This record gives sequence, C-alpha cells and structure tokens, in this order.
Amino acid sequence: MEAKKENREVLLSVRDLEVTFGSRRNPFKAVKGVSFDIYKGETFGLVGESGSGKTTIGRAIMRIHPTSGGEVIYKGEKINGKISKELDKKVISEIQMIFQDPMASLNERAKVDYIIAEGTYSTKKDLPKKERMELVDNSLLDVGLLPEFASRFPHEFSGGQRQRIGIARALIMEPNFIIADEPISALDVSIRAQVLNLMSKLQRERDLTYLFIAHDLSVMRFISDRIAVIHKGVIVELAECEKLFEHPLHPYTQSLLSALPLADPDKEKNKELIVYHPDECHFDYADNPPEWVEIEEGHFILANARELEEYRAQLQK
Amino acid sequence: MEQKNDVILSVKNLNVKFNLRGKVLHAIRGVTLDVHRGESLAIVGESGSGKSVLNKNFIGLLDPNGFISEGEIMYYGMENGEPQLLSGYKKDREWLKIRGKEVSMIMQDPMTSLNPLKTIGKQIGEAVEKHQGFKGARLKEEVLQILRDVGIEDPERRYKQYPHEFSGGMRQRVVIAIAVACRPKILICDEPTTALDVTIQAQILKLLKELKERLNLTIIFITHDLGVVANIADRVAVMYAGDIIEIGMVREVFYNPQHPYTWALLSSLPQLGIKGEDLYAIQGTPPNLFKEVVGDAFAPRNPQALAIDFVEQPPYFDVSPTHRARTWLLDPRAPKVDPPACLKKIQPSL
Ligand SMILES: Nc1ncnc2c1ncn2[C@@H]1O[C@H](COP(=O)(O)OP(=O)(O)OP(=O)(O)O)[C@@H](O)[C@H]1O
Ligand SMILES: Nc1ncnc2c1ncn2[C@@H]1O[C@H](COP(=O)(O)OP(=O)(O)OP(=O)(O)O)[C@@H](O)[C@H]1O
Ligand SMILES: [Mg+2]
Ligand SMILES: [Mg+2]
Repeated sequence: MEAKKENREVLLSVRDLEVTFGSRRNPFKAVKGVSFDIYKGETFGLVGESGSGKTTIGRAIMRIHPTSGGEVIYKGEKINGKISKELDKKVISEIQMIFQDPMASLNERAKVDYIIAEGTYSTKKDLPKKERMELVDNSLLDVGLLPEFASRFPHEFSGGQRQRIGIARALIMEPNFIIADEPISALDVSIRAQVLNLMSKLQRERDLTYLFIAHDLSVMRFISDRIAVIHKGVIVELAECEKLFEHPLHPYTQSLLSALPLADPDKEKNKELIVYHPDECHFDYADNPPEWVEIEEGHFILANARELEEYRAQLQK
Repeated sequence: MEQKNDVILSVKNLNVKFNLRGKVLHAIRGVTLDVHRGESLAIVGESGSGKSVLNKNFIGLLDPNGFISEGEIMYYGMENGEPQLLSGYKKDREWLKIRGKEVSMIMQDPMTSLNPLKTIGKQIGEAVEKHQGFKGARLKEEVLQILRDVGIEDPERRYKQYPHEFSGGMRQRVVIAIAVACRPKILICDEPTTALDVTIQAQILKLLKELKERLNLTIIFITHDLGVVANIADRVAVMYAGDIIEIGMVREVFYNPQHPYTWALLSSLPQLGIKGEDLYAIQGTPPNLFKEVVGDAFAPRNPQALAIDFVEQPPYFDVSPTHRARTWLLDPRAPKVDPPACLKKIQPSL
C-alpha cells in the first residue's frame, strides 16, 4: 500500500458536494459541502452518527439523489447533474451499491435469479436468456452460494445469505467501484466475518474500490485504508486509518473513538467517554470560521486558525 | 456454592419447546442458571441461540405455541419473602404480580414498544398509574421526574410530544423509563442498543449502570456485541443452540475462555483481525433444533472436535468457583488443545 502512495490514481473525486431535501421554502441541507478523493483499489471508510448524511452521499454519487451543489467526478468526468446517456449507462454499470438492510433491500416477490440479473436488463438488453442465466450462476458462485439457489425467493435465506445475494447483484454488473452501505450491521456476529472476508477477497481479485459506510469503528479499522469522519453533513477529519485511530485531532473524532466498545472488560470498564460539545469547542466560529485544511500529508481537518495552532502543537508531541 | 439469599432467580434444567406446523422445535435445551441479586448478567450468543426465548419465560411472555416441557424457574425477590414457582404459573392473572413490578423487560424492537398515537407523557403516565395509583398533578410530577431520571432535557416540552418527534436514542430512554417506572427488581434488556450509534449506545449503557445503582436493579442484558458485554456485565453466559455452554465472571470468560464456541466467537471480532488477512469466520450453521442434538452441539462446526463430542453431551466442568464450561476439553482425560493464538490480544490490564 505505502509504496503506491506517490502515483495513486484518483478514481472518484467529490468537491463541495451539497444535497438538499425538502421544499424550496423549507429546505434541509443534509450534506453541506464535502470534499474527498477515493483512490483506485482502496477502501475508503465513511463514519459518523445516524443521520449525519453517509447514505445520502452514497446515493448522490449513485445519482439516486440530485445534488444541489458541488461536483462528483468519476474517472475524470463529471457525473452529477445533467449528463449524456452513454455516461449515465457507464455510471450505472460501473458503480454499484450494497444496501444497509439485507432483509428490506431485496424484492420479496421476485426470485433470486431475477433479483441478481435485474441490472443487466438495462445494460445488456439483448443478451440471450441462457447467457444471462450463466452470468447469474457465476455471480452466485462468486459469493459462495449454489446456482440452485437461483429459483428460490429471498425469504428462504438467512441474513448472511441475503447479504451475499445483494453482493452478487452488484457483482454481475462487473463494477469498478462499490458503495457498501453498512453491509454487515444487520448481520449476526458469526456471519459478519464471512461477509467481510468475501468483500476483501473480491477486492483483491478484481481490483475493486470500495466506499465503505459504517458506524462500527472496529470494523472500519479492520477494513479501511483511509477514513473520513462526518458530523451533521460536514466532514470534520480525514486521514489514513491508523493515523486517525492513533492521533485523532478533531474533538468529534475523539468522542467517537472514545465510545467504541472494545471486547476487553478491563479496558472497557475504565474508559473515559469524551462528549462532543460543538458550542464550547468551536465558540469562535462566528468570527473565525473553519476551513478544510491538510494539516500534514494526507491528514485533513476542519479547523479555524486558533484550532489549527492547537492541533499542530498536538502533532508535535 | 452460592447462598440462597443471594439468588433472586433460579432456573433448573429448563426445556422449552415450540409447536410449529406439526413439528416440535426444541429451543431451550436444559438451561440451569442462578441470577444473583444486584448483578448485571450478560447473555451472548448468535441469532437463534435462544436468548430471547429463555428470558421471555421470566415474565410469562412466551409465544402461545411454546411451552415448558421440563424444568423449573423460581423467583425469590418478593417483598413477603415467598418464593414463586414461575414455571408453574398458568394464568395471566398470576403474572400480573410479576410483570413490571418484579421483572420488567425491554423488548428487542424499540420501534414497536412505543405507541405512535400517544404522547410520551401519557405512555409513561399509564405505566406509573397502573402500578403506583398516582393521579392528576401528582402523576404528572412523577412522570416529569422519571423523564429527568433517564436524562431527557426539557421534560415539560417533551412530555407533550409524540414518539416520532424523538430521536432513536431518546426513544430508547423513554422505553427504559417505562420499564423502570414501577421499580422492578429485575430488568431484562433485549438488545437495547443494537440499533443505536456508538456514541448514543455508550450513553444508554451509562444510563443503565446509573439506574442499576440508584434503583438496586438486577440486570439481565441480552446482546451479541461483545464490546457491550465487556462494558456492562459482571458475569457472562454464552448460549449456543438453546443451552448455556460457558458461564463465568466477565474477566474469566474474556481472559480465560474454555469452550471452543467461546473461542470462535471472540476470534471473529474485527478488533482481533490483522489488516489484509482474513478474519476468523465460524464455518457452517447452527444445528437444526427440530432434530434432537447429540453430543456437543458445536462439534460439527469445530475443526478440532474430539470423537466423544459427536456422541455424548459434555457435563459442566468447573474452572473456578464462579466459572464453568460444558466442553470435553476440560475432562482430565482430554488431549491438550490450545485456544487460538489471536485471543492473546485480549489480556487483563488491571
Ligand atoms: N429522502 C429524504 N428526504 C428527506 N430527508 C432525507 C431523505 N433521506 C435522508 N434524509 C435526511 O438527511 C439526513 C441524512 O440522512 P442519511 O440517511 O444520509 O444518514 P446516515 O448517515 O446514512 O444515517 P444512518 O447511520 O442512520 O443510516 C437525515 O437527517 C435524514 O433524515
Ligand atoms: N414462536 C415461535 N415458534 C417457533 N419457533 C420459535 C418461536 N420463537 C422462537 N422460536 C425459535 O426458537 C429459537 C430461539 O429463538 P430466540 O428468539 O430466542 O433467538 P435469539 O437468541 O434471541 O436470537 P436473536 O439474536 O436473533 O434475537 C430459534 O430457533 C427460533 O426460530
Ligand atoms: Mg445510512
Ligand atoms: Mg432475540
């Protein structure tokens, strides 16, 4: 990983992205100007509390939600807003999403073969039936399920198997980039490891790039190369995974890390919770607003001049 | 052994079965467990291992197609000192003196435990009125105090609001408030924080610990999150396929686990994983409980299972006076099998 640092290729670039919900008279900005780059072949983690805008960012990249500002650039081309038919088709097949809840995200009335093949009906319209079914069989095998499962219904599967179906459905499109939205949160502990291992294996074999969304920090630490921390629609810190865990700078990152439950009773019973009080930490934002700054190589933070000085001093230590 | 006056709830060889479309599912297979006054006991295990079913027996909320086929449950917490044979209760009327007042349960699904059509104040008020008989201004004062107790700011305003106006974490606080409104002695929490963020989860755990001290509660905490167990529990019981396969003080189970299933559960934690390498993953699936299980239920998924594991169910072996496990590995005649090396990463630090 480290060696490649110099000539890493940016696959996806998000600049000042904004997503607004609600009516014109009563707008609600769920994503308030976020910027980050995702490199080819990496796993980019996005963490933050419920409602912070993680899924919304994923859906905006997928073109499910319209953006109200900023740019999403994929392989050098702008893919948000109005784009050509060809580009839209390319985005639809190359960028895939795995959804948060495997129980709710699959169409209950369709059989597994249709669920998995669905995306190919638009990208490979004229494919003969037999070949389409071969694709389905192959993607079932790719995720460790038997081709016989193709004629069953989703409710006949366990949670882990359903999530595999969700992954097979993404893989059949031969994507480059997968947005995995809490892919294991709804799964049982014993199955989580299987799904994480499967995702890593597929990444190695196919040079996939992941945007991995989760609120479980121990999973994030295990799987991500770099992590961005989002709070109320704003990214407050972004760094390489270990750096973020070893030297969190932003008070919100610190509070998140302090809350991470560890399977170790001595550590857990003595841990101090850090509570994030934005008004106290950032009392001078009205006069001295924060900016998105690269404080050291690859380590970005949202801070004003006063805070930057403090953070720099912390990094010296 | 423990003195009886320490034990508030005692379960002996409990067997629970369900009738399901002409077949019988054996969900709880001989659980024996003493719950101690004032402790917080965590119950862990994968989905379907019987955590919820076991605990529903303690407040008489077993689904109608389920029944106790063998064993007994005794409750020793009554004010008048009379032991109650809960497993012998037949009528709902008998349960009325237990439910809420003696044993209270926070159910697994937080969204369904509040009524969306009633204000928060009214819902808490009903629980308080039913059990303490307060009315009018006195009742309102009590409800406001309860809201304050569970850490809800501006209770006067919150009192008049509906559940959808509350965030997930606040709703869970209200559910807890209702559960403790009648000052129960045992509070059963079934996955109370699973749907919540880490920060909110940490706050709820803190709240439960405070309430436990203030109200002298005994807590049974059901979860599959071992981080949460490490945080809240004094003691842990590990369930597998309807039985407790290991139980001990929390430090004993985390720092000196004995059963191969406990090893597997701990090993699959991402916290112990090495980046770039596969995580340990338990192979296979839990046994089919429609068939009678023979031997150690975990044997088919345990690559190091012994021959006897497939033939005979292991008894409990004592590891310490407070720690026991159902595995043949603890039999003096068993070959020595080391726990997985990655478990060395969990070490006592006190
Ligand atoms: N379709 C929508 N219409 C209106 N508001 C929305 C919509 N989708 C999301 N929101 C709002 O946008 C904000 C961000 O939601 P989002 O689902 O992105 O959060 P999240 O970080 O994914 O949270 P979680 O961890 O709970 O999944 C929330 O306040 C949410 O209520
Ligand atoms: N009403 C019922 N009828 C038939 N079987 C049932 C019923 N309720 C539970 N079971 C079965 O009993 C077993 C234990 O279920 P239980 O709900 O206790 O699992 P659990 O450990 O709480 O799992 P989870 O972590 O998913 O909540 C499962 O095999 C389940 O399918
Ligand atoms: Mg989301
Ligand atoms: Mg349950």
